[in-house]
Amino acid sequence: MESVAHLTGLSAVTIWTLLKVLIVFSAVMGIGSLWTWVERRGSAMLQDRIGPNRALLFGRWQLLGLPQLVADGIKFFFKEDQVPPHVTKSLFWLAPVLAFVPALIGFAIIPFGRSFTYQGMPYHLSVLEPGNGMGMLFPLAIGAVAVYGILVAAWSSNNKWAILGGMRASAQMVSYEIALGLAVLAIFMRVGGYDPSEIIKDQMAGGWYFWRQPLGFLVFFTCMFAESNRLPFDFAEGEAEIVGFHNEYGSMKFALIALSEYAHMISASGLITTLYLGGWSVPFMPEAPVLLTILSFLVKLLFLLWVFVWVRWTLPRFRYDQLMFLGWKVLLPLSMVNLIWNAWWMTRGGI
Amino acid sequence: MGVIVKKVELSWLDRSYVWPIAQGMLITFRHFLKQIATPTSKRFTIQYPDMKKTLPAGYRGLHELKRFEDGAIKCVACFMCQEACPARCISIEAEEFSELNFTQGFEEKRPAAFKIDMLRCIYCGMCEEACPKDAIWLRNEYELAAYDRVSMNFGKWDLINTYAEADGKARLTQGQESPATPSRPASGQSGQPSDPA
Ligand code: SF4
Ligand code: SF4
Repeated sequence: MESVAHLTGLSAVTIWTLLKVLIVFSAVMGIGSLWTWVERRGSAMLQDRIGPNRALLFGRWQLLGLPQLVADGIKFFFKEDQVPPHVTKSLFWLAPVLAFVPALIGFAIIPFGRSFTYQGMPYHLSVLEPGNGMGMLFPLAIGAVAVYGILVAAWSSNNKWAILGGMRASAQMVSYEIALGLAVLAIFMRVGGYDPSEIIKDQMAGGWYFWRQPLGFLVFFTCMFAESNRLPFDFAEGEAEIVGFHNEYGSMKFALIALSEYAHMISASGLITTLYLGGWSVPFMPEAPVLLTILSFLVKLLFLLWVFVWVRWTLPRFRYDQLMFLGWKVLLPLSMVNLIWNAWWMTRGGI
Repeated sequence: MGVIVKKVELSWLDRSYVWPIAQGMLITFRHFLKQIATPTSKRFTIQYPDMKKTLPAGYRGLHELKRFEDGAIKCVACFMCQEACPARCISIEAEEFSELNFTQGFEEKRPAAFKIDMLRCIYCGMCEEACPKDAIWLRNEYELAAYDRVSMNFGKWDLINTYAEADGKARLTQGQESPATPSRPASGQSGQPSDPA
């Protein structure tokens, strides 16, 4: 690290940060595009189908359908980039970026491994260093910003169905934001802080919040599905059945929107891991080696991502009134109950 | 007429969503494990161009006009099938026929043209039922597609040669006895527009 810093004339901290940004974002993108494959393959398996297997690498290797990814990429790049004449051009081009960037940077706060000291310098394995004052508020705020991507895409499309789809999706995302916030608040209260590293340390000492606040977990988990627009709450983009906000998008712009759903999913899984599944901590090993903690984080993350796929191909979509009912009349009271119960428990001296 | 809709009383456990969802996820996961252990070729999906469905014997697909052992057409142009056809897609022209070296010679009548518009046919099998001579059969062949309407207008010589598996008799073409070359071989490749004879 020192020698690289010397060669480039940048400080070691800067290089480390750049490296982290590179690793994290390429990992999120990589897992995201890989998950489009897992999704298709997994859905086929879950529903007794076969899944993609026609794309062959060099006309020969099937590789469990993985060449489909390459085929998709090529297709998206070479497809004609149609921009309908009635759209608001500038916003139309901006919207996929607005959808993609918040989904991507939501992951920035999440620590994916234990901090370690090397040659007297502390290294933290998350893009934003712990103790930066934003803590877990950052991903929540970013999650709220993600609505803009959808709204801008819907509005600039200048198409009434797209606008209806965008309204549906944004109403859903905003409705679930509150229950989500209250569920997380119960954790902040217990921990006494909202820095992810504090939350993880607290869980290492007192057990995962998955066990300690099962109700909160349930609410948060459900809200995460709604936030990332995944089934059973995918009112934003039912590809085939309902007209969604990205109705007018094609080729690479569509790919970006589709990929942002996966990036969202990864950020959501990272959040759930950090808040409820002990983050990078390895059970029964308080002093685990750094690589093991990264592995532990990855295992939890990938498992949760798989649960996202699994749920998608098990449950049918909710009706819109059911969705609103669930959000406002079930999840919000539940998450309040969770908060108040935890507050009461703390006044009784419980941890 | 009123319809009585049965209301299902859900238990509180079912109404909590959590337990039924867990059950459902267990079911799909069991399917997942089962599919992993099943080789691709054994799964339910039939990968159409590579694998074909074996249809039951009674399937009603493409028609065949049957022939006698000596190759003469069984049809006596009685118009029964044309009358029976609900879709009105059969059109027959009869001709007199008196060469006694064919089995059919005794019948003195045969179709000069026998057309079925496959696009209008609903594959009901009425023609098969109506035929007094067992001359028209519906076969297992179901890959009926073409690039234009004309090629879906099957003539007599097309219909004579549509057998699903060859019955040992020589393929008949116009050149041999009289009429046209069948445009649609039994192997199912799409042919040129057929001679509407
Ligand atoms: S199968 Fe039915 S519709 Fe088709 S030709 Fe025969 S009678 Fe007509
Ligand atoms: S009913 Fe049979 S014999 Fe009569 S015209 Fe039709 S196919 Fe020929």
